[in-house]
Amino acid sequence: MKWVVYIILVLVIVMGLLKSCINRDIPETTSFQNTIQTTKEIIYPEDQKTITIDGVDYLQSQAPVGNFGGALTSSTIGEGPKTFNPFNSKDNISSIMSEIMYDGLLTTHPISGQPIPKLAKSFTISDDGKDYIINLRKGLKWSDGKPITADDVVFTWRDIIFAGFGNTSTRDSIIIDGKLPTVEKIDNYTVKFTTPKPYAPFVRMLSTPIAPKHIFMPAVKKGTEYFETFLSTNTRPRDFVISGAFKLKEYVPAQRVVYERNPNYYIINKDNKKLPYLDKLVYLIVGDLNNEVLKFEAKEIDTISLQGSKVARYKAMESYSDFTIHNLGPDTGTMYLAMNLNNRKNDKGEFYVKPEKQIWFQDVNFRRAVDLVVDRKNIVLNIANGIGAPLFTAESLNSIFLNKNLQPYDKNIDKAKELLKQSNFSWDKNGQLYDKFGNRVEFDMLTNAGNTEREAIGVMVKQDLEDLGMKVNFKPIEFNSLVNKLVNTLDWDMVIMGFTGSPIEPNGGKNVMMSDGTLHVYNMRLAKDKNSPRYNFEKRIDELFTKGALATKFEDRKKYYDEYQQIIYDEKPFIYLYAPTRIIAIRNKFKNIFPTSLGGVTYNIEEIFIDNEIQNDKRSK
Amino acid sequence: MREVLIQLWKDKFARIALIVLGVIYLALFFADFLAPYTKDFSDRSMAYVPPSKIFTIDENGKFSRPYTYNYIREFDQQNLEMKYKLDRSKKYYLKFFAQGQSYKFLGLIPMKRHLVTVEPNGRLFLLGSDINGRDVFSRLLFGGRISMTIGFLALFVLFPIGLLYGGISGYLGGKIDAIMMRFAEAVMSIPSFYLLIILASILPSGMTSIQRFILIVIILALIGWAGFARVVRGMVLSIKNQEFVQAAKSIGQSKLGIIIKHILPQTTSFVIVAMTLSVPSYILSESGLSFLGLGIQQPDASWGNMLKEAQEFTNIIYRPWLLTPGFLIFVAVLSFNMIGDTIRDILDPKSKVK
Repeated sequence: MKWVVYIILVLVIVMGLLKSCINRDIPETTSFQNTIQTTKEIIYPEDQKTITIDGVDYLQSQAPVGNFGGALTSSTIGEGPKTFNPFNSKDNISSIMSEIMYDGLLTTHPISGQPIPKLAKSFTISDDGKDYIINLRKGLKWSDGKPITADDVVFTWRDIIFAGFGNTSTRDSIIIDGKLPTVEKIDNYTVKFTTPKPYAPFVRMLSTPIAPKHIFMPAVKKGTEYFETFLSTNTRPRDFVISGAFKLKEYVPAQRVVYERNPNYYIINKDNKKLPYLDKLVYLIVGDLNNEVLKFEAKEIDTISLQGSKVARYKAMESYSDFTIHNLGPDTGTMYLAMNLNNRKNDKGEFYVKPEKQIWFQDVNFRRAVDLVVDRKNIVLNIANGIGAPLFTAESLNSIFLNKNLQPYDKNIDKAKELLKQSNFSWDKNGQLYDKFGNRVEFDMLTNAGNTEREAIGVMVKQDLEDLGMKVNFKPIEFNSLVNKLVNTLDWDMVIMGFTGSPIEPNGGKNVMMSDGTLHVYNMRLAKDKNSPRYNFEKRIDELFTKGALATKFEDRKKYYDEYQQIIYDEKPFIYLYAPTRIIAIRNKFKNIFPTSLGGVTYNIEEIFIDNEIQNDKRSK
Repeated sequence: MREVLIQLWKDKFARIALIVLGVIYLALFFADFLAPYTKDFSDRSMAYVPPSKIFTIDENGKFSRPYTYNYIREFDQQNLEMKYKLDRSKKYYLKFFAQGQSYKFLGLIPMKRHLVTVEPNGRLFLLGSDINGRDVFSRLLFGGRISMTIGFLALFVLFPIGLLYGGISGYLGGKIDAIMMRFAEAVMSIPSFYLLIILASILPSGMTSIQRFILIVIILALIGWAGFARVVRGMVLSIKNQEFVQAAKSIGQSKLGIIIKHILPQTTSFVIVAMTLSVPSYILSESGLSFLGLGIQQPDASWGNMLKEAQEFTNIIYRPWLLTPGFLIFVAVLSFNMIGDTIRDILDPKSKVK
């Protein structure tokens, strides 16, 4: 009996195998049906304008009028905020969480990127570019009813920022020739800032939050150490006195941050009712990207930023789901390849980079050849799943300072070989590359291990460079040891890393671009080498950044920053690879969504409201 | 020993496990020949393509030599999605035992024959391709060479130390035993995971990923012997009072001689069982470490780092072929465990659960 069963079993398996071998070629008759979606053109409302009612200078939103109530739940990845004091925050999450509650004098126009007044009614910059006169709104109040006046502004700048309380990065970035700007009160609603020299990036600094003097004064008097703990995550929510659209209501560590509506906010809608529309703003603190996606699918969060292959999945779901996907264009994050241009010796008298490698890396033809063989097109298609754009410039593609004259180009091996020949590199019969002294061109390429994207880029770049006959040892190493190599021991050849930048202020990149910057990756100078000789193009970039900061008019500044991008484009100390596209999904029930490349989706949080009809629909189902 | 093998073969599950492992190791040994491509071959324009479709009946309904089509990849701007479709303009016929990419069999003999290849410009991705357009099937075979042998490497470090240490400690007894065992316990309490993370950051970066990984496995083994040594010591304690040991003592054999020649061979059954059961744990730890980025690094392949690519959940939905290394890890570990269990039952009939 038993063997019968066996034979049947064997027969079934053999037949199964045969069946899978015999496979008929039937051409698919269904062609691709491209469901052409008519993407609705976004009609942006007019700019918000100041309107005076009963002596109070309100800011009036020009967006369609909505209804009040509801909550918007968003998420943050990581550990959550470490402080709610905007002057103490050292990490991005803490900054976002605390700046919701405190408005700054100015803000950035979400479309043009120019500075526009917010807590200030208006501002003027003198012709010499040194004086900034700020007119404040009259009749505005802190959430405890005390008026917002010039005293608060002067106190914030002089006694907190200039005095060096909390995180001093704002203070450090506005020291010009060793001098700080000054601030003085002209009258109760007028403040004047004076910079020692014309310094264009200062106007961006005026978006720093303004603190209530009567609350912060006692903390400042107790000294810097006490200030570090002031308005920490342990502070009771009712102790916050704020000027922003939302006020902290509840903070549960590692779970959520809840904000409630500020009923006395100074932005009003077209019916002159006080905004914001939403009652609550909630941030869930989630562990990682996958967790965030699951929460979005479970409808626990209302908006999410999507990367790579997830986009296609959500795009397919969009038509029958309750969310819309907004394509905000290129992100500010950039991925780059850099070579070590260091030509100095370490404490032991040894070169950081071996002398023969120095000759290659410091040769612009070599760098251009490397740049020419990098296959950006396929990096975007394979690694970013097509959700990105090839990058050739130092400024990100959405930057208002982007030099649009710098043309993209394709991979070109022949041209790369031509350039190497010009520098007397040669190939043996196996196609291996040798320099003019007969050294085999071989070097290490590093990136941080565990990052699938960068590892895959590394594998591609290695193959591309091997097409030129170079020998590349690709080594993904642990992140901290990589950073240590880049900023301390400096013993590396080539690296694949990423930067984040600002689309509105190139001066923020000076720590990378200027030759004594703390992140001047391609030619990092340690303290002992501060005065070592610079390359000519480094000198020129230093000059351009200094001039660019001192010029006041946008057009003048653009000229300087255009030239710096041109130099990076020509000299290739950084070989930029690609910039991912920023894609954000948000539920349809939220209205007044006007996404922009610079502002994102929820920059106008006070104008966003929930459409009750869509909500009712959901309930009736 | 022969008897053990015969009994092992008689057990149904153990037999299946032996066959499965035999097939896997044989395939890994002939990987160069079986794989259509070398481990680093890639076609960028074919990243993440699904497994090749092989047809034996052509579009007119007639039998034909097996052939395949290439995939073409398009980015759909509208739906922000990669689309793959078969390029039916050109057929590529499969060729068996034909010349393909050159390789060195066993690292020595230059050869070009492959079990199956496809006509020039055609691509045969039996299990699809990965993010860099590399053949998953070929990489599975080459990656398996590392994943499936790393366990034995650890055993060669772990067992001699554990046996000798446990033997000496158990035989000598007294204070020496107490001190040696306390030391073993101290070694056991080193948190291995944190040690690995620290090691990963301080190991010289000049090493290749395989050298690094071998070093990490050896270090793991250097921590792992302690538990094994404790069991050996317990067994030695009971063996050392038996008559044959007394006899060896009385004819004046040295202590080390007694331990190595007379006592340790008595622990063979336990050692064999422990060995077969610890191989899978090293296969799993390889995949775990590579998954975390501490083990084998790109562009080298191992089952662990191949599985890492499937980490993102959209990959699990859209590209299930990336999960095949996980399946193989599962099969290999299960087989080793089944064999280990059966050997234990054979060598120690008393413990057999009826």
